[in-house]
Amino acid sequence: MKNIKLTFVAFLSLTLLTVTSCKKDELEEAGTDIVESATSGSLKINLNHKWGMSNALDLVLNSEMIHPMTEDTLTFTTFKYYVSNFKLKKEDGSYWVHPESYFLVDLSNTASLELDFSDIPAGLYTDLEFTLGVDSARNVDGAQTGALSVSNDMFWSWNSGYIMLKAEGTSPNSANNTFVFHLGGFSGENNIVTEKSLSLLTTPLTIVSTKTAAIHLEVNPAKLWHSSPSVSVTNKIHMPGSAAKDMATSFYSSGSSFMVHSVE
Amino acid sequence: MEHSFHLFILYDMKIFFYTISISILLFSCKKKDVKIKEYVDTWGFEKPSHFPEPDYKFENNELSKQKFELGRFLFYDPILSLDSTVSCATCHAQEHAFADHNVPLSQGVGGTFGTRNSPALSNLAWYPNFMWDGGINHIETLSVAPITNMLEMKESVSNVMVKLNNSPFYLEKFKEAFEVDYITDDLMLKSLAQFMAMLVSSNSKYDNYLKGEVEFTSSELNGYQLFQQKCITCHTEPLTTDFSYRNNGLDSVFSDQGRALITLLEEDKGKFKVPSLRNVAQTYPYMHDGRFFTLDAVLDFYSTGIIDRNTTDELVRGGFNFSSSQKSDLKAFLKTLTDYYLIGDPAFSPPER
Repeated sequence: MKNIKLTFVAFLSLTLLTVTSCKKDELEEAGTDIVESATSGSLKINLNHKWGMSNALDLVLNSEMIHPMTEDTLTFTTFKYYVSNFKLKKEDGSYWVHPESYFLVDLSNTASLELDFSDIPAGLYTDLEFTLGVDSARNVDGAQTGALSVSNDMFWSWNSGYIMLKAEGTSPNSANNTFVFHLGGFSGENNIVTEKSLSLLTTPLTIVSTKTAAIHLEVNPAKLWHSSPSVSVTNKIHMPGSAAKDMATSFYSSGSSFMVHSVE
Repeated sequence: MEHSFHLFILYDMKIFFYTISISILLFSCKKKDVKIKEYVDTWGFEKPSHFPEPDYKFENNELSKQKFELGRFLFYDPILSLDSTVSCATCHAQEHAFADHNVPLSQGVGGTFGTRNSPALSNLAWYPNFMWDGGINHIETLSVAPITNMLEMKESVSNVMVKLNNSPFYLEKFKEAFEVDYITDDLMLKSLAQFMAMLVSSNSKYDNYLKGEVEFTSSELNGYQLFQQKCITCHTEPLTTDFSYRNNGLDSVFSDQGRALITLLEEDKGKFKVPSLRNVAQTYPYMHDGRFFTLDAVLDFYSTGIIDRNTTDELVRGGFNFSSSQKSDLKAFLKTLTDYYLIGDPAFSPPER
C-alpha cells in the first residue's frame, strides 16, 4: 500500500512539475507573440453560398430553391457543415498552419459564415489549403470541445463519428415531403474527408499587420445533387456509405464549389 | 452412562458451535480487514498484474479523484434524462455487476423498451469499442448514445448542459475537478469516462486462482479445463472476450442485423460482440436480446441448439454436445467469474450528496 501511495505522490509531484513547466512555456510563447505581433496579421475567409453556377442565386434557408439538374424544389431548413485544418502556403513553399482549426459553418448563424484567423506571419501567400469535413483523428479521439462539441448535434452517437454535413428541409418532390441528408464517414471506402487546395496566384494573399486580409469563397451546395438522384428517389441518408460518399464527393471536389471569388 | 453420553454430545456440539463461530468470526474479520484495506487505500487505476495493457490510458483526461467522483455523481443522477427518471445506474446496477436488474430489455424514459440487453460494465478500459454492434469507438463518447437514444434517456446533450449549468452543486463539482466556471459537454463525458474506466473486475475467484491464491474445486477445475479447450478462442482469457463480432447461431432470420448496422456488410448480419463472461452468474438474462434466463439454457443452446447458417461462426457449428456433468462443471467454473469485490465496492456505489 505504501508503495502505491509513494508512487502516487511521486506521480503527482511529477504532474505538478510538468504543469508548472508548461505554464512557463506558455508565458514565454505569449511574450514572443507580443514581440512578433508587428510582423503578423489577420485574415478573414467569407463563405458565400450560391445555388447553381451561372447567374446564381444566394442559397438562403426557408426559401424555395429549384435544382438546375433534378428540377426538385427544395426548401432548406438546415444547412451546416465542417471545414477544418486551414493552412496557408508561402511563396517559398513553407506553410503557416492554423492551430486547432475546426469550424462549423451554419447557414442559420451569420457569424459562422466568416472564419477568422490571426497571428499569421506577414508575407505573401500563394495557396489556401483546408479540409472539408473532420479529419479521422478527431473522429476516434474521444470527447472534443468547441466546434467539435457533441452538443452541436453533428455527431453520430451510435456509430461514432462526425456528421460532416447536414442538409435538411422540405420538398414536394419527396414522398414524405421532407429530405434529410446527414453525410459523414472517415475511414476506408466510406471516407468522405476531402483536402482542398485553392491557388491564390491570380491575386496573391498579402498578410500585413496594418489590415485584415480577406478571401471570399463561393460555395455551391447545388453540387450535392450533381451525381445523386432527385429527392423523389433518395430523400434520406443518415450514415456513412456509398450514397453519402457520392453526394459529398460531388459537392466537395467540384472545382466550382469552394472557389476563390476574390482576395483583398 | 446414558446421561454422560448426552452430556458428551452436548459438550461436543458446544465445541463444534464455538469452533464454527470462531472460524466465522476469524474468517469475516480477515475478509473485512482485507476489504477495508483495499477499498480505502488503493484508489487509482492500476492494471491487474494478470491483465494485458489497457486500451484507454486516460490520455487527455488525467485521472483524478475529483473527476472520478464527479463521474460517479453523474452516473447515478437521472438529471441526464429528459424527465429525470432514468440514470445510467437504472440499467447498470452495481448489485448486478452494472447490468440491468435481470430483465431482457431495459426501459427508458416513459417506460419504452430498448432493443438489446443492457451489457454489464466492467474492464471497459480494455475495450477497443463499445455496444453489442461495436458502433462506438471511444469510452469518452460512449455516454452520448444512452443520453440521446429515444428509447433510453431521450435527452439532448445541449439540454443536459443547460441543466448542469443551472445546478449550484454541479457548478461547484466541475470547478473542483476541472477549475472551470462553465460546464462544457467534453468535461461531463470525461468524468463519466473516468468512473466507467475505473470499474475493473479482477477480484473474482477465477482471478485469485490465476494468481495462485486459491484452489478450484474439482468441478470448477474440470469446468475450467473444458472452458480452455472449447471457449477461449472467443472468450479469451483473462478478459473473457476477444472483442470480435460473431454469429453464434441463435437465429435463422435476423430481426436485429447487429454488426452489419455499422459496417453495412452482408457477412456481418447477425453478428454481435462476444460478451465478456465476467460476473456472468449475476447478469442474466443472456444474449444480445436477453432470450436465455439461465446459464443452463445457455449451455443447452451451445450444446445442441446452434443453428447452422452460412454466417454462423465455424467455431460453434455443430454445437458442443456437452454431457450433463460437463455442463455442471462449466457452470461451476462460470460462477467463479463473479467478482463480489466489484459488486460490493463502496467506491462505486451511489454517492451521497
